[in-house]
Amino acid sequence: MLALEVRGVTKKYQGFQLKDVSFQLEKGYIMGFIGANGAGKTTTIKSILNMIHIDSGEVRVMGKNMVEHEIDLKQEIGCAFGGIDFYTRSKIKTLTDVIKKFYKKWDDTTYRNYLRRFKLDENKKIAELSTGMKVKFGLALALSHGAKLLILDEPTSGLDPVARDDLLDVFQELVADGEISILFSTHITSDLEKCADYITFIENGQIINSAEKNEFMESYRLLNGNESQLELVKEKLISYKVNSFGFTGLIHSRDFVPSADIKAATPSLEEIMIYFAKKEEETNV
Amino acid sequence: MYNLVMKDLKLGVSPIFLIMPLLTGALMLIPGWIYFLVPLYFCWITVPNVFAGFKAQNDLIFTTMMPVTKQDMVKARVAVIVILEILHIAIAMIFGAITLRLYPDLIYYFFAPYMGFWGLCLAMLAIFNLIFIPMYYKTAYKYGKAAFASIAAAMLFAGIAQWQGIGNSYVADIFIGAGADNTALQLSILIAGIVIFVAFTAIAYRIGVKRFLKVEAQ
Repeated sequence: MLALEVRGVTKKYQGFQLKDVSFQLEKGYIMGFIGANGAGKTTTIKSILNMIHIDSGEVRVMGKNMVEHEIDLKQEIGCAFGGIDFYTRSKIKTLTDVIKKFYKKWDDTTYRNYLRRFKLDENKKIAELSTGMKVKFGLALALSHGAKLLILDEPTSGLDPVARDDLLDVFQELVADGEISILFSTHITSDLEKCADYITFIENGQIINSAEKNEFMESYRLLNGNESQLELVKEKLISYKVNSFGFTGLIHSRDFVPSADIKAATPSLEEIMIYFAKKEEETNV
Repeated sequence: MYNLVMKDLKLGVSPIFLIMPLLTGALMLIPGWIYFLVPLYFCWITVPNVFAGFKAQNDLIFTTMMPVTKQDMVKARVAVIVILEILHIAIAMIFGAITLRLYPDLIYYFFAPYMGFWGLCLAMLAIFNLIFIPMYYKTAYKYGKAAFASIAAAMLFAGIAQWQGIGNSYVADIFIGAGADNTALQLSILIAGIVIFVAFTAIAYRIGVKRFLKVEAQ
């Protein structure tokens, strides 16, 4: 069953547009949503949550159309926006008391358990929490109302490595029994290498690729060679950098014919992102 | 809807604005003052402060993430404004009644706090709502222009009404002359004020919803 299905979502702004964005997230998995700043991650997430009106396309959550069943589906969705704070001068307790009234399946016992587990002090104000604690508070809220789909916009940005690693462990535990699915956007690609099952990559409002993580990484090759070898593959490279030793470039695996001396390796997510961004820069020049 | 109203009252509206009606209402004890200023303090102080709070605390995104309809979001916000307005008027009315007993022989130059005057105040707040709510829901977070326009309109209404109350002997007679003792007349002006208040606020709500449905949360 699909937890989330985004089909042909298009949204035009002045100077930016989401073009035919489509991807699917299977129930019980973690999908990393990557892209550079301004690539369209938050716009896509806002489209999913029906916070903005899309020009065309469709979003389905748990098989139901999001626009038609928005209120029911929001009972099943937990979301957190990194970097946006709400009512920071209020205590955790006050916020929770207000928020829980909106959810039919709110479970106080679950909430207490998560507070203990995340070491959150109810009497603290939101402004007193560290970035990591804020994300955990958001998660505790989402999980206590029985959210089946977590949509997290940059939850790990601004966290120190220890807090990030801790949070990623939490994500993996959550999806372990196959009921909860997570879509989280980030530009910290190492987080995804640790915990994502699927990767969706967006660049300049378009989905470049959406696939299982290893398949995603293996569909590209990072080439290393000298300048004469560059001439052989130049046309087919997504983009490349020249240095005093030769060149490094990214190529689609299907376009690469293993040959003599060009060294080929599986690129990291970061490298894929960088070379695509470079291509974008070049086409815009 | 109820949950959204409670959300605004617990998180968005600072308790000071729930107590404020006691302070502004007490201004009614000033003998023979321009009493229109009393409900206007709500427009000048409470509205900009409360809406600045909603904007600063990202209330729009916060509320949009919850399982609530956009209609209910507007309905609840309008309800909160109306609750505050009624608090201001009701408490001012009590202080007004005290004033009438405290200084029974006072000669009024401006409107006296009889029931008819409160009908005029409600009409003034009706005009305020009719302009503020639809303008605010163009973005659902920017409140400056909406507050300026609606406060200006409310003041204009108050100014013209008070000017008539001084310059026009017929109007003066109704509000501070012989008409002041005519309970039926006073009560019917108050009821007319209530009707205008309800009607204008309902229209403002409808236009607000229509505009808010087109708003993209940011």
